[in-house]
Amino acid sequence: MNDVIDAARHLARAPGTLISELTHATGLSHEGVVLGLAEHLETDATADEIAALVTHASEAPHVHVVLSANVFVAALRAIALAVAAAPEVTIRASSREPHFARALVARMTMPGVRVTPEARPEGVKRGEIHVYGRNETIAAVTATAAAGVTVRGHGAGMGVAIVSAGADVVASASAVARDVIAFDQRGCLSPRLVFVPPAAGPEFAAALSGALEALGRIVPRGALQADEAAEAERYASTVAFAGHLLRGAGHLVGFATSVVVPPPGRHLHVVAADDLAVRSSVAKLARSIVAVGASHPEAVARWAPPHARLSRLGTMQQPRLDGPVDRRT
Amino acid sequence: MSCIHISEADALHARAQSFVKAYEQRAPMPEAFDSLAIDLARYQAAHCAGYARLCAAKNVHIATISTAAEAPAVPTDAFKVARVATFAEGQARVTFRTSGTTLGDRGSHELRTTATVDAGALAFGRAALTADLEARPAVVVVGPPPSEAPDSSLTHMLALFVRELGDPSCGDDPWFLREGIIDLARLDERVSRLLQRGGPPVLLLATSFALVHFLDGLGEATFALPPGSRVMQTGGFKGRSREVSASELAAEIERVFGVDAAHLISEYGMTELSSQFYDATLRGGAPGVMMEPPWARVVPVDPETLEPVREGEIGIARIEDLLNVESAFAVQTADRVRRVSGGFELLGRAPGGTPRGCSIGIDELLGGA
Repeated sequence: MNDVIDAARHLARAPGTLISELTHATGLSHEGVVLGLAEHLETDATADEIAALVTHASEAPHVHVVLSANVFVAALRAIALAVAAAPEVTIRASSREPHFARALVARMTMPGVRVTPEARPEGVKRGEIHVYGRNETIAAVTATAAAGVTVRGHGAGMGVAIVSAGADVVASASAVARDVIAFDQRGCLSPRLVFVPPAAGPEFAAALSGALEALGRIVPRGALQADEAAEAERYASTVAFAGHLLRGAGHLVGFATSVVVPPPGRHLHVVAADDLAVRSSVAKLARSIVAVGASHPEAVARWAPPHARLSRLGTMQQPRLDGPVDRRT
Repeated sequence: MSCIHISEADALHARAQSFVKAYEQRAPMPEAFDSLAIDLARYQAAHCAGYARLCAAKNVHIATISTAAEAPAVPTDAFKVARVATFAEGQARVTFRTSGTTLGDRGSHELRTTATVDAGALAFGRAALTADLEARPAVVVVGPPPSEAPDSSLTHMLALFVRELGDPSCGDDPWFLREGIIDLARLDERVSRLLQRGGPPVLLLATSFALVHFLDGLGEATFALPPGSRVMQTGGFKGRSREVSASELAAEIERVFGVDAAHLISEYGMTELSSQFYDATLRGGAPGVMMEPPWARVVPVDPETLEPVREGEIGIARIEDLLNVESAFAVQTADRVRRVSGGFELLGRAPGGTPRGCSIGIDELLGGA
């Protein structure tokens, strides 16, 4: 296990051409890639956390890992879980972003861990397949997996942020903005919805838009693909009708009393809701929620979805390396 | 809602209904499409705060627009999260609702009067479905009756067709889907009786998913309808039956019911609209090409800029509907369409092109519950 983490530390210290490769492949800005490597690569796991991760791992002779693109650092955790489970690990990286996994494995010394771009999940004859990505990808792999092979899917999801009454509005907005800019909100930990007390709504939305604008000058958003931009425009029109829209150079903040989930790409929807309404909305969305960030985590711990990773605002994108990010399965 | 406000709305309804009357009488349209469209946009911006906000967000000064295309379209999603109406709550005569989402939200379309909607649906439905018939057909519906779907705009329209297009002497109770079960035996008896007595052609109205269940129930058997019969299908399948390609379903319908391709007519409509669109096959149109009534038009627009695409290119459908008097005259859908000679082609939803890693997509999140 330490081999994987050591390789990640090495990469973070001396990324070489990796930053330019990732910038090209992920669509993130150069600064976005640097941020991801510097602050979101989990290289400081404690012994207890690693022990927890090993406990979460299954046991198999072979694990084939199917990675998704965009959140490139996620390969570290996926490979760590596979290595904890099996002596033989093959990795099919995303064709769009194969660089991080390749670079990580190249720096590992463990035998039996290989990046195998040509290996197809249906060709795996024993052990397990760990699939990361969209639910339809998981379904497709499950449908074609050989008999006796276990498929463990880690599907798509999202984060929600909860600002409690009495929280510092500006500080909370800045923290949420930090949770959003990492990977341009394309990870399942990124908040897409922020629930705020009704009285704080307009002030929070304005502060959030200001914080995103300021952070965007330091870490610019990468390019949106055409369909992402189209979804963003649809969200903008919907929220302009249903509430209020704040449009920044590289972000959208919507504010309404109803829940409208925006698409990824630094787009946040602020919902002004009392405590009861927040609980109700979170319950409805529970199966899609991977992470909950809160200004007061202790206040929401009792009713947040039990599978969700609960953390303080501003740290949603820095989960401990103690098991899968997605605890729904 | 003031009396002046109501009379203004009623006057707009009257103008919209004049389009329908002119169509029925084969007379010239009473005014230019854009003339009424602009007045509707101005009225809706004045009396629907959401639309006023949308116009402001798009920097559109609705008082100064000179074409309908300048008026922003209301996305269909807005109907799920906000009230899209120019009149006060409590004044709705009917509220039609869309199917639900994961969030449990159902879009709604409130109507203060159904007179305009009904007039348009009937006039264009008659033209698309029965214009070639000398006598009224026997209407049968493979769909739930109004008692089971009181807030369905589709069921409302089908009930209208039963009342106004069908031959009442052909039997009571034309609804053959109850509590999710198709009453094949009763339908068989109804059709057999019609065949025995040399009755009129059948107009079979059905949703696509109900037709798939129907065909699955029949297996290899056939269910021949009287000569001249036709089948109107509408809607999708997602999550309600196995999914079948349009061409595969069409071939099966033709085989099972013994109708020819020209007598299989697809309808395209949605809760958020007041108008419908149909295949023009009965009127000699090419298969797969849908026609618009003169009071509605489908404009393919670029998904990102929402500007009209060039002629013949694929865009998402901005639908301008003059019968949406007191909601949203322009509705932005996510359905892909292309203008072709004689109308437009409906190409379905855009495929999810961008791999999004583990960030959940909107379609995944809001998939029908």
